[in-house]
Amino acid sequence: MDQAQAIFFAFQIWCSIGALIALFFLTIGIDRIDEDAQGAYVFRLLLIPAILLIWPLVLWRWFILETERDAWPNRHRPPRHAHFWVAIALAVFIPVIILVSLSVRQTWPVDFEPQKLSLLEERKS
Amino acid sequence: MSVKYIPVQWNNNKWKYNAVMLASVFAYLWIFIFVTPDLMSNEGRINGAVHNARAFGSCAFLMLSVILCIGPLARLDNRFLPLLYNRRHFGVMTAFVAITHASYIINWYFAFSPSNKYEALLFSNTSYGQLSGFPFEVFGIFALFCLVILAATSHDFWLKFLTPRIWKRIHYLIYAAYISVVAHVGLGILQDQQNHTFTVIFILAAIVVATLHVMAALHEKKHGDPLAAESGDWVKVCETTDMQEGYAKIAQLTAKERVAIFLHEGKLSAISNACAHQNGPLGEGKIIRCLVTCPWHGFQYDVTNGSSPAPFTEKVPTYNLKVEGNTILVDRHANEPGTYVEPVPLNIQGAAA
Ligand code: HEM
Ligand code: FES
Repeated sequence: MDQAQAIFFAFQIWCSIGALIALFFLTIGIDRIDEDAQGAYVFRLLLIPAILLIWPLVLWRWFILETERDAWPNRHRPPRHAHFWVAIALAVFIPVIILVSLSVRQTWPVDFEPQKLSLLEERKS
Repeated sequence: MSVKYIPVQWNNNKWKYNAVMLASVFAYLWIFIFVTPDLMSNEGRINGAVHNARAFGSCAFLMLSVILCIGPLARLDNRFLPLLYNRRHFGVMTAFVAITHASYIINWYFAFSPSNKYEALLFSNTSYGQLSGFPFEVFGIFALFCLVILAATSHDFWLKFLTPRIWKRIHYLIYAAYISVVAHVGLGILQDQQNHTFTVIFILAAIVVATLHVMAALHEKKHGDPLAAESGDWVKVCETTDMQEGYAKIAQLTAKERVAIFLHEGKLSAISNACAHQNGPLGEGKIIRCLVTCPWHGFQYDVTNGSSPAPFTEKVPTYNLKVEGNTILVDRHANEPGTYVEPVPLNIQGAAA
């Protein structure tokens, strides 16, 4: 069980760091980097779960925005081409997984017609 | 397009959309749990908690399948666009249904283990070396993490903070999650399912999702926006005769950057095709009184300066353009979002005015 404990413990640490960052980001950072957030407080609670999970990304974006390194053209260049690769991935993985699943399935209980032994005995007597 | 953030933006359409969605989810769960308790289970060998887990698990799977069908359908046919409109609430709801599924499992199968029940989930089965009897739960755990991350980052704040580009990249996790769920079900319940109603629904749904994506990709290959012909800073995007009053022509400047050229009251204006909200295709919207409306969620922009009308503050880049003979050319270097560009008259007889 040691490995399981380690993974679970690491996860707890990860989220605790996230909680600390959420505290600073939602009280100080957010007002500095997004003027739409100024004066709006309730919605900040909704942001907590995501900060717990993806806090490194939050720190990185916070840094980019604080230091005004954000490149505005990137906001208007969506990764649309990725749809193509998604289609290929789905078309390959889904059939393969289904075929593999069906072929490793052990079907003998279905082919085997169960008989009620007690009935046979009743008939004998 | 609020000036200030609020927790959830509601309007009539969203209420209707959510009402239909909630009603369907409840109807499904009700039918599964109370009306046909035997339909998808192993002939009554299972208890209430596992039965509920199955109801919620299969519900989450079907919801995810429907969500994934919406994107390609909207790309194949504009009439499906209204479904795209409020996909976000659908996704968040799916995450909650999936969490309920997982909680039933964890609280039933692992509640009585001597160690912590989450640790027990991770290490009660470690036969990672074989397919039959593979610990299919890990696929569920991975998918659940993806769904939770997507739901948690669904507020508009994240779009603006992370930029639509990074946000979209994160949201591609949904495809990994779906493939993972297919493996979760295939190597999991499919292995000892005796009643095949769900097996058939499961395989059909997964095949439909994959097929629609392939169809949409082929459609995009055939009918996608044309790549602009390159020649220095000014790029040819289309002919003057291609233009139609009130509508735009979209051209691809690079693999990622698209420009939309609008003809409004006989004059041309060019703005970025990517909406500031979620990068929806502005060029597919129609102009009404100088304002183009994004077909995805209805943000509006003045085509002459790329800015949303007050009190909204969204802005998209504009492009300088010129007409040479019958050809429309665009300066490949976009102007900063919100820059005014004097509309260029299209004084050509050939254009459908
Ligand atoms: C922590 C995450 C998860 C765990 C531990 C988990 C575990 C399980 C287990 C143990 C079963 C078999 C239940 C039985 O004995 O009958 C199952 C079935 C299933 N799970 Fe999950 N799961 C997780 C996440 C998910 C997610 C995210 C989805 C879908 C979005 C999902 C969809 C399903 C489906 C469709 C079934 C089959 C239900 C049926 O029999 O009709 N699971 N899961
Ligand atoms: S992408 Fe949402 S309104 Fe344009």
